[in-house]
Amino acid sequence: MSRRIHPAVVPAQPFQLTARETFDGPIFETEEGRHRLKAALSRYPTKQAALLPMLGFVQSVKGWIEPADMVEVAEALDLTPAYVHSIATFYTMYNKHPVGRHFVQVCTNISCHLNRAEEVLHRFLAETGTREGEVSEDGEFTVIEAECLGACGFATVVQVNDRYLEDVTPERVPEIVAKLRGARDGATAGGPEAGGGA
Amino acid sequence: MSFPHGSDLETTTRLSRHQGEADARTLDGWRARGGYEALRRSLDMSPAEITDVVKDSGLRGRGGAGFPTGLKWSFMPKDDGKPHYLCCNADESEPGAFKDREVIRWTPHLLIEGCLIASRAIGAEHAYIYVRGEFFEETQVLNAAVVEAYDNGLAGDGILGSSWSCDVTIHAGAGAYIAGEETGLMNSLMGNRAEPWAKPPFPAQAGAFGMPTTVNNVETLAAVPMILENGADWYRQWGSEQSPGTKLWSCSGHLARPGNYEFALGLPLSDIIFEACGGTPSGKPVKAVIPGGSSTAFLNGDELDCATTYEGLAEAGSALGTASPIVMDEDTDIVAAMRRIAQFYAHESCGQCVQCREGTSWVVRILQRIEAGEGRPSDIDTLYELCEQMTGRTICVLADSVVFPLQSSLDKFRADYEALMKPSLVAAG
Amino acid sequence: MAENGAKATVTLTIDGVEVTVPSGTRVIEAAEHVGVVVPRYCYHPGIPTRPAQCRMCLVEVEGRPKLEPSCTLQAADEMVVNTASDTARTARQSVIEFLLVNHPLDCPICDAAGQCMLQDYAYVTNQLESRVDEPKRIMGRDRISDDILYFADRCVICTRCVRFMRDVAEDDSLIVAQRGDKAYIDTFPGRELDNPFQGNIVDVCPVGALVHEDFVFKARAWDMDAAASVCPGCPTGCNVTIDTKENQIVRVKPRHNAAVNSWWMCDHGRRHLVMTNRGVRAEVPLIRDGEQLRPVDWATALDWVAEQMEALGSPGGSAVVSPDASNENLFYVHRLLERLGVAGAAFRVAQGDTAALPTVPTLKLRADRAANATGVELFGGCRVDGLADGSEGNGSAVSGSEGGALVVLDDALEGAGEDFGGAADFFLYLGTRLPGAARNADAVLPIATFAEMDGTFTNFEGRVQRFHQALRPPGLARPGWMVLSRVLARLGDGEAVNEVRGAFERMVAEAPAFAGLTWDGIGLKGAPAAGSAAAAAAAAGIHGPQKADA
Repeated sequence: MSRRIHPAVVPAQPFQLTARETFDGPIFETEEGRHRLKAALSRYPTKQAALLPMLGFVQSVKGWIEPADMVEVAEALDLTPAYVHSIATFYTMYNKHPVGRHFVQVCTNISCHLNRAEEVLHRFLAETGTREGEVSEDGEFTVIEAECLGACGFATVVQVNDRYLEDVTPERVPEIVAKLRGARDGATAGGPEAGGGA
Repeated sequence: MSFPHGSDLETTTRLSRHQGEADARTLDGWRARGGYEALRRSLDMSPAEITDVVKDSGLRGRGGAGFPTGLKWSFMPKDDGKPHYLCCNADESEPGAFKDREVIRWTPHLLIEGCLIASRAIGAEHAYIYVRGEFFEETQVLNAAVVEAYDNGLAGDGILGSSWSCDVTIHAGAGAYIAGEETGLMNSLMGNRAEPWAKPPFPAQAGAFGMPTTVNNVETLAAVPMILENGADWYRQWGSEQSPGTKLWSCSGHLARPGNYEFALGLPLSDIIFEACGGTPSGKPVKAVIPGGSSTAFLNGDELDCATTYEGLAEAGSALGTASPIVMDEDTDIVAAMRRIAQFYAHESCGQCVQCREGTSWVVRILQRIEAGEGRPSDIDTLYELCEQMTGRTICVLADSVVFPLQSSLDKFRADYEALMKPSLVAAG
Repeated sequence: MAENGAKATVTLTIDGVEVTVPSGTRVIEAAEHVGVVVPRYCYHPGIPTRPAQCRMCLVEVEGRPKLEPSCTLQAADEMVVNTASDTARTARQSVIEFLLVNHPLDCPICDAAGQCMLQDYAYVTNQLESRVDEPKRIMGRDRISDDILYFADRCVICTRCVRFMRDVAEDDSLIVAQRGDKAYIDTFPGRELDNPFQGNIVDVCPVGALVHEDFVFKARAWDMDAAASVCPGCPTGCNVTIDTKENQIVRVKPRHNAAVNSWWMCDHGRRHLVMTNRGVRAEVPLIRDGEQLRPVDWATALDWVAEQMEALGSPGGSAVVSPDASNENLFYVHRLLERLGVAGAAFRVAQGDTAALPTVPTLKLRADRAANATGVELFGGCRVDGLADGSEGNGSAVSGSEGGALVVLDDALEGAGEDFGGAADFFLYLGTRLPGAARNADAVLPIATFAEMDGTFTNFEGRVQRFHQALRPPGLARPGWMVLSRVLARLGDGEAVNEVRGAFERMVAEAPAFAGLTWDGIGLKGAPAAGSAAAAAAAAGIHGPQKADA
């Protein structure tokens, strides 16, 4: 899985992928882990600054971050596990629990709220048969309400893993869920609507 | 939906003129559009000269506060022997604002060029572009552009063959609105909780990694190359004395043509809403507009003639903010809208200051109760009182940000609140 | 910020009173110079970081549009500060109201009740009723360490505890988790704090959020008595306050002393002190009556002991003293031994692990597990590893196998042989307890522990520090100096003293090591004994390491 990435962009690799791999041994003893850590450390005057990038890296591989991962990240960056725990719980994008293969985040903030976002959210919950935040029985879906995703002109905005779906109406939800259900792993990275709003 | 949206208005599309052109994303495409010429020019100028041009242009920070950019740069110490840093604030997360996203995903090289020129002006050896973690596609585009820049001698050592070097690093956030506050952003960059710190120390004294740092918004930095190329007077042909230039407008809510636009500062707000964006999709009258992103005060439907300048919107009792009007038609439930806005701030409070940590969520609970028909007239007094206690008392302005819309909604739409209260209780006063 | 001109002091006005303070002083500290204590939660004088996040210490400064946090605001010339203006008071009142939004108001069962800065400030801001009737956020309780509990709902997120651990103990294992109104204090999941100084987080907690488990439901603040004391757990001599209830030590807290322990103490000291409640005590004077030890009253015991001592023929003998004995007790024993012709007392010191608080160099848990080894040495004591078994002398003069007198001052006599002291002509045991070997004594005089009397210890660097009586001694036990002064008086040496001052003054007059000290002069912060390391440091103008206090 090792990809050589330019060090300047290592701290900005996407980490909301659908990947559900595990590390083959200790994280920073894998080739990719070593490369990412070294590259990230080369970009900052302190080791600690690599913390967010490395938590992101773990999540990009596993889909979530568990306490054992925090310990490894802490050791790699000379931090305490408690400190890493503090950071991981401050930022909402780090999943501290496993999520479904399709992690659906429905923005219900003001502009989306004005465009029926709550209905969209409820429709997603109904279509996937889940309650907010839980993983569906088949492991396919987790649906949550999200804060502003920064695409307010295209309300309602829904983020599925890394991708934005724009102008989502409640009526479109069944079709979107059906497409996602059929999509293979990683296919959502191309998106049911490739290019999102582009 | 794609960019740009058509507009009948005389648009002044300068900064955003290459948005929507797919090949503008590549270095070749960007160079074909005159890209990196401003950077080349800046290499022949001293940092003070660059700062002076930006000062003269009157460019103001586009992240919401509107602080004069050239002045901010001039706070950076000179020849202090310390490393300096530039932080580009691309943590765009103010509800209503989505302009930086377009700059990043369509014209990444413009942003890089702006960062490099600013870095030169402030003597920065490293520019960090802090992009919100949710912006996956945008970050991918920007990442590719940065790698291109490195591969072509536009970033790193000896930029454009000169002796000047500057690194550029893209840094992804991880979900925190407060990382968009400048000290919160620097804390987050350093691997801390994105908690704002009490100033002093100011960023120009001791910012990121304890070194002199300047934090600028994406749109601010993206405006720098064209100003450098065309001069301060050219930029001042648009806008007012205090609000010169052009500005991106993120228009959302109940609009027929929502989206991003670029206008000279100073148009009447009503022109933007009705002419450019086509008014409400239903044709119903506009009940309310939050003109500058969710942390600015409500205007009601008959207050929309104000000029869209920093001073014009301030006079109207609101603020230009991030220039992100959120439009609500006459069917809008203002209490529900306000509750939703308040929920956001409660969710995003970092939790340091008591007024913000406890106040924002208390406001939410009161609004939820009113929404559920359990309100009491005294709730309105309590809300006013909370507004007062949450204003100007905290480290950063997140608590103030919920007060602006809340207090103005109480002022202007009090009847909406009272309509939800039990009639007997209202009468009993 | 360049200190232009490097002015040494600034003069400002606080609540109408002009005050001159060293430049760099923060307004919250300058206010204390004029007797104004600005309410605060996150500010703590012993913790160097000042996040200014509780917003409780906001004050009005003339000419400034907003209220300013006085904990970070530097005092400046001509600054006019008003800590009690309407605006400042209203702001403070609102902070309290905000803090009570989610607070459970469980004061009736809270261990901090009566000593709680939330209660105190709520009281002084005169809020008759709460406007909050929304449902409260409920988080519950957690374990922070083997003996510290965290009541999340009472927490005001001042982060004093987090910053003590991070910035003072340099152990970044206590953190704020989550954010906003869901924030709470936490350790790493599944782990607990394990730091020898962690108990201080309970002391810095301004409310009842952090509580020692062994203190839960033990005492109400108003049921406790407090006494200024010194921790006897090691030679550092941390200044402490001993809280007692019904003649039991229920809690020990550090008492500020910049030259010794700053604001802190170690957990060993705390536990050690609370443990002194345990065990059976010697409560009645006993004198030998054939095979028996017979309980008698003090007059009888003292007369008899004096008689026996006078009757001793040849001078010489041996002595064992406890390194936990006070200077005054040691002085009187020393006088007695001089009369008896006993050369020097032996003493044993148990050893333990050491621990250091990184940012306070003088505060260490030192290996000696005793308060006053320095004091014993000043009186010519001789450190030994163990007691000889009593059958033959080993040259260390601690066997009690020689003839002559044998005097033991509160040594527990662990390891002593069955017939310890059997060869002595007269075996006097002064002790707080009655170990088996002490039953060989000719007389047992029950004495008070340090917590049951007034006195002084000499710490590792020669600093003489006062401690005050926190408990009543049990039964007929009395302070050692009181008892010994009476024995000596009966032998014609000085007078019986009833008060520690008398004992201390005689010691200062007769023991050169303590020359020049006065009881009042030592005060509650102590003073260096002549010629000690502490005196040398004081002469050089070094008053401890207090970076934080500087």
